[in-house]
Amino acid sequence: MEKLKRELKEQIIELLNLEDIKVSDIGDDTALFGESLGLDSIDALELIVLMENGYGIELANPEEGKDIFATINSMADYISKNKK
Amino acid sequence: MSYINSYCHISNDTVKINGENSTSIDSDSIEEIIRELYLSLELKYSKFHKMDQLSKIAFIGTELIKQANPEISKSGENDIALLFSNSRSSADTDIKFQESYQNGGIPSPSLFVYTLPNILIGEIAIRNKWYGENMFTISSIFDSEYYANYCNILIKKNAEAALCGWINVDDDKIEAFFFFVTKKDLKQLNLPLDSNMLEKIYRQD
Amino acid sequence: MITYIGSENIISPLGDSARENFIKVKNNETGISLFSGIGVDKEDLYLSKIGTLSDNNKFDVLLAKCLDSIIKESSDNIINSKDTIVILSTTKADIQENLTAPIQSSVEKIKVAYKLHHTPLVISNACISGVLAMNTANNFIQSNIYKHAFVIGADVISDFVLFGFQSLYAISNEVCQPFDKERKGISLGEGAAGVLMSSESSVFKKEALEFVEGTSSNDANHISGPSRTGEGLYRTVQKTMELANIKSSEIDFISAHGTGTLFNDEMESIAFDRLNMNNIPLNSLKGYFGHTLGAAGLIETAISMQSIRTNTLVKSLGFEAEGTSGGINILTQNLEKEVSTILKTASGFGGCNASAIIRNI
Repeated sequence: MEKLKRELKEQIIELLNLEDIKVSDIGDDTALFGESLGLDSIDALELIVLMENGYGIELANPEEGKDIFATINSMADYISKNKK
Repeated sequence: MSYINSYCHISNDTVKINGENSTSIDSDSIEEIIRELYLSLELKYSKFHKMDQLSKIAFIGTELIKQANPEISKSGENDIALLFSNSRSSADTDIKFQESYQNGGIPSPSLFVYTLPNILIGEIAIRNKWYGENMFTISSIFDSEYYANYCNILIKKNAEAALCGWINVDDDKIEAFFFFVTKKDLKQLNLPLDSNMLEKIYRQD
Repeated sequence: MITYIGSENIISPLGDSARENFIKVKNNETGISLFSGIGVDKEDLYLSKIGTLSDNNKFDVLLAKCLDSIIKESSDNIINSKDTIVILSTTKADIQENLTAPIQSSVEKIKVAYKLHHTPLVISNACISGVLAMNTANNFIQSNIYKHAFVIGADVISDFVLFGFQSLYAISNEVCQPFDKERKGISLGEGAAGVLMSSESSVFKKEALEFVEGTSSNDANHISGPSRTGEGLYRTVQKTMELANIKSSEIDFISAHGTGTLFNDEMESIAFDRLNMNNIPLNSLKGYFGHTLGAAGLIETAISMQSIRTNTLVKSLGFEAEGTSGGINILTQNLEKEVSTILKTASGFGGCNASAIIRNI
């Protein structure tokens, strides 16, 4: 699980071009869409692509993403339960 | 009548402000050149890193023009028109977006939003809170006559100033030219705007 | 000096002339239908697609057909005059055929085929391109740079654009329902439309209307999400009314943008509420034509000009129950009334917004 969380942080930084952010800046419980990372609605859609490309998980509705992408913990939790 | 108060050329190896060399660029790849220019601005704007190449160059050019015209910040928020054009539209990003969905891939939303050339105007407007006139045109060559005509029209009608740019970027070449036009002559360059003058300074690169 | 506007034309699945299109729209017929297996995951989707033209070279064919029709409705030879500019409005032109230079060859072809004095000006400013093109024509004419402007907008459906909007989850799985409570996104459309604008009323074969004024404004908020306060739309409409010296009480009808996405339509309702335009009858025509991007502003203006000519406002197709918070007067049925002054608005990616006022003379 720790490996997955680290991998997610690296992928998010790379995928969403968070140049000024380091892995150590993202806590497992940091709100991804809060002030600290400043992600927006397009980033949320890009995370849906990451779920499909990286973990084979398809989200039917972007609304589902709201809870799943809340924190690294919630993402890792969802991936480990649904990974194909 | 309106006046050119500053202008800026960006190419792969130099930045020139008002025709004078201001920065030499050491990097090779387009990505590194843009990064080097951003770092030389010494500012922190996290949205920058999300932009496509075209918007990044527009952002850098705008910041350089602002540095050369501290007066610009005194303009009213509705008073600066943004007029941009190029010959390639958003081709650089269009190619990347098409690659994202070809061969069964998933189309990338963050690339798709940059497949319109006027997005760079939006980026400049957001950064500076400028609510004025917007216009993106596509022409095969830099059209000094259009620029001179349309700047003068908007400045006469409902703008105090216009920030204009011509930006093309592909895998190995940046060609960008920016100029800032105001209703009042700020006596920086003593350059009344007309198409001949504009053509001349565009070609100074 | 007056800028005249007329000779309007529309080419869409509903027909090849403004009149033909208006009659179909008045009968509340839509050009949108279901196409199977066209989505990025081979899903069935609704489009407003022109079946009578081959997809091959469709963009150029649309431009030429549209220009021909306007030329037919105007004085001989003004297209070749040194006082004439052709303004083209498009977002992606022929992107499917030519990814790196989708517009240049079309511009060259038109310049040569119609023996134009000036190279056409291409405006590519997302979904406000069409309205911006008319505003630009008006500005040129009012400044005596040109006397006449042929303003044409066109866009065609491509995998590129369809898959792109799918990646944003912005495509409805039903026919689009602008402003409705149940709206789920856009239906993509294709087509062309155009008008002639001129400082001389004599160049029009049928009676022309007046293009009073038009402006644009940016939200300065987000590149793809509409402003929550409708900032840019509010500002451009205010500017246009101020320059036109027209009060909102004088506007008989609003031809809104109304794409059918949750956030866009809500944004528009908020802007019109802030402008105290709650009672002015309003429609979105996307339920008839889909979202035709660079052609949309011109298609919707041409239909609105027919509304002025016939004193008939058409209902906002797909709208049943109020689904926006601004409290606006969306047309639920056609309405016969005197229509003298209309407001056309458009909003698009990049935070851009544009507006224009046209009136009967």
